[in-house]
Amino acid sequence: MNLYDLMFYLFAALTVISGFFVVTNRNIIYSGFFLLFTFFGVAGIYVLLGADFVAIVQLIVYVGGILILLLFGVMLTNKITNVEIKTGTINIYPATIAIGLLTGSLLAALINSSWLTVSTAAPEPTTKALGTMLIQEYALIFELLGIILLIALIGAASMARREK
Amino acid sequence: MKEYFSNIYTALVTIFIGMKVTLKHLFVPSVTIQYPDVKPELPERERNRLYVNMDDCIGCDQCARACPVSCIQIETTKALPAEDLGKTSNGKKKALWVTGFTIDFSKCCYCQLCVFPCPTDCIYMTDVYEFSEYQRDDLIFDFVTLTPEERQQKRDNLAKFNAEKEAEKLKAAAESKPKIETEQKKDQPKE
Amino acid sequence: MMYDFFVDLFGNTVIAGIASGILMSLLPLFLFILPYALFAVLAERKVSAHMQDRLGPMRIGWHGWNQTIADIIKLIQKEDIVASDTDKPLFNFAPVLVFAGSYAAFAAIPFSSYYIGSEVDLGIFYIIAVTGLVVAGILMAGWASNNKYSLLGSMRSVAQIVSYEIPTMLVVLSLVMVSETMSLHTLSEMQTGYFWNWYIFGGPGFSLTKFLLIPSMLIGFIIIYISTLAEVNRVPFDIPEAESELVAGYHTEYSGMKFAMFFLAEYANMYAVSAIVAALFFGGYQSPVGYLGNLLGVEWLIPIEQFLWFAAKGLFFVFVQMWLRWTLPRLRVDQLMAVSWKYLIPIAFVNLIVIGFITLI
Repeated sequence: MNLYDLMFYLFAALTVISGFFVVTNRNIIYSGFFLLFTFFGVAGIYVLLGADFVAIVQLIVYVGGILILLLFGVMLTNKITNVEIKTGTINIYPATIAIGLLTGSLLAALINSSWLTVSTAAPEPTTKALGTMLIQEYALIFELLGIILLIALIGAASMARREK
Repeated sequence: MKEYFSNIYTALVTIFIGMKVTLKHLFVPSVTIQYPDVKPELPERERNRLYVNMDDCIGCDQCARACPVSCIQIETTKALPAEDLGKTSNGKKKALWVTGFTIDFSKCCYCQLCVFPCPTDCIYMTDVYEFSEYQRDDLIFDFVTLTPEERQQKRDNLAKFNAEKEAEKLKAAAESKPKIETEQKKDQPKE
Repeated sequence: MMYDFFVDLFGNTVIAGIASGILMSLLPLFLFILPYALFAVLAERKVSAHMQDRLGPMRIGWHGWNQTIADIIKLIQKEDIVASDTDKPLFNFAPVLVFAGSYAAFAAIPFSSYYIGSEVDLGIFYIIAVTGLVVAGILMAGWASNNKYSLLGSMRSVAQIVSYEIPTMLVVLSLVMVSETMSLHTLSEMQTGYFWNWYIFGGPGFSLTKFLLIPSMLIGFIIIYISTLAEVNRVPFDIPEAESELVAGYHTEYSGMKFAMFFLAEYANMYAVSAIVAALFFGGYQSPVGYLGNLLGVEWLIPIEQFLWFAAKGLFFVFVQMWLRWTLPRLRVDQLMAVSWKYLIPIAFVNLIVIGFITLI
């Protein structure tokens, strides 16, 4: 076991444990803040995989953007003075069956697949390659994604205006 | 559109004007007085703590009567005929031992009304304004120069003198007047 | 270097890696941030005092030089008050998160060509990313305090930081387009030589692009300075902690060392954004006039000089922040949003496009 393994297990444990708390915690605010650590752990794992750009985009988009908006939304839409932000459990039996099936299939896939192992080399910076690919090979998809986001933006703006 | 750019222009220009002003003030010598080290010069007629020059005090009680808050307490004891108390600096003859002269500065309102009636100008305002205390009793200032023993002695002297005089009077009366009168005089309390 | 030493000491690469990692990550804290914060807090008070024709702290040491040390001793001794209705785990964790966020930014700041915490290829991008932790921490602090002023302050703070991140990113992006790198170290190395190689003067080399870039760079600098000022919640963008409206904003309920952590994070942030501005536009750690070490032929003097130049540039921008603080009144919330969305972002966009065209030439 070397340092990278140790760090991987650290980040993996952070991700899994905080993910567990996100699901089980009954207070939405707590779930939101545990989500922060989940995202952070995932970003760490990306870094260990050599995907530095994706890791930082993960931090910017999920921690800096989505998580903050989520917490913001929760805090603004609930009455702050008398805290009643709780999540309940419903539909236990169908959920158990579905989760069991999903876990089983995931485990089967994990066990049955033959993993490709590559000896670890020092990871190269990926930004330039990523940029070239986005602009050349996947230009259409990239543009389409941009248009989808723009549509979402326009939709949100028109909903927010609500002129009588 | 024109307004948009003029807004930007005014914002930038006014920020730079403001920054110029503050930068100028960075090098202006400060107006702060480092108080306990450097004391501000007070005006000539400022009113602060009172002082009584007991050498000149004749115990006339005029200051105590002038005081609107009754913070001055004076106790006087008559001097014996044999004693010579001397004169004040402006030539008044002293006839009383001042055995008590306290000013309670927790009451004093610094109105200076006690200063003007004084016939010998012995009570006056000083420039001392730092005399805060932890106990209120410490703000009662005693100006009498005599020691407590001396004061007691003066009072005893007077009492003894009065008693002697009384006794002499009594004796003289007993010789000349009828007895009933002397009985009446005996009832009067002696101090 | 330190890693090798620990390998010798422990005979185990894992422990050595951890130990050297911890030690290296603590180095900037004790070597730079704490002394800087001590100095900056005093400087703030002194600058503010002299700008208002006062003297500021004068009693402790010569001209109050030890005032901050006395303050820190006081803060350490203070009772740690936690109000009974606060959300305790979050309340206790928030200052740590805020400080961690602002401290993590220092990992990628190039102090000198020999000392840079982590020479990540995405330096500037990384710094912007970890600032997200500060936002989350502020939100956490405001929520956990269970106090309306704290919550309002943190809400305002987050709204402000999120909106001002956009112009910052756009200016950074335009600079990345010009320099074709995101590493602050490479960026600083590119601006070596004399001050006319700085990006505020159009970058290295003498060509038509350089002179065309100068006005765009000037605009970019002004935009990024204003928006980073807003991101660290300094006056005139201090509505999150507006004393006259919100007591102290998100750290109203904090006392003692937890408050000190917020305070330290604020000052660390001030330096971090100043350092980013210095590294992007003003040559980073490069000297504007050449090095004494080169002149004397003393090799080891150069990194020290670079460090001093970098500290000086950063401190100058921190000084300008203080200067602005005592010049401008606070903005209203709608004015604040108007500045970001109506002025900075459109101008930054146009600037980005203009710079793109110029670099294409």
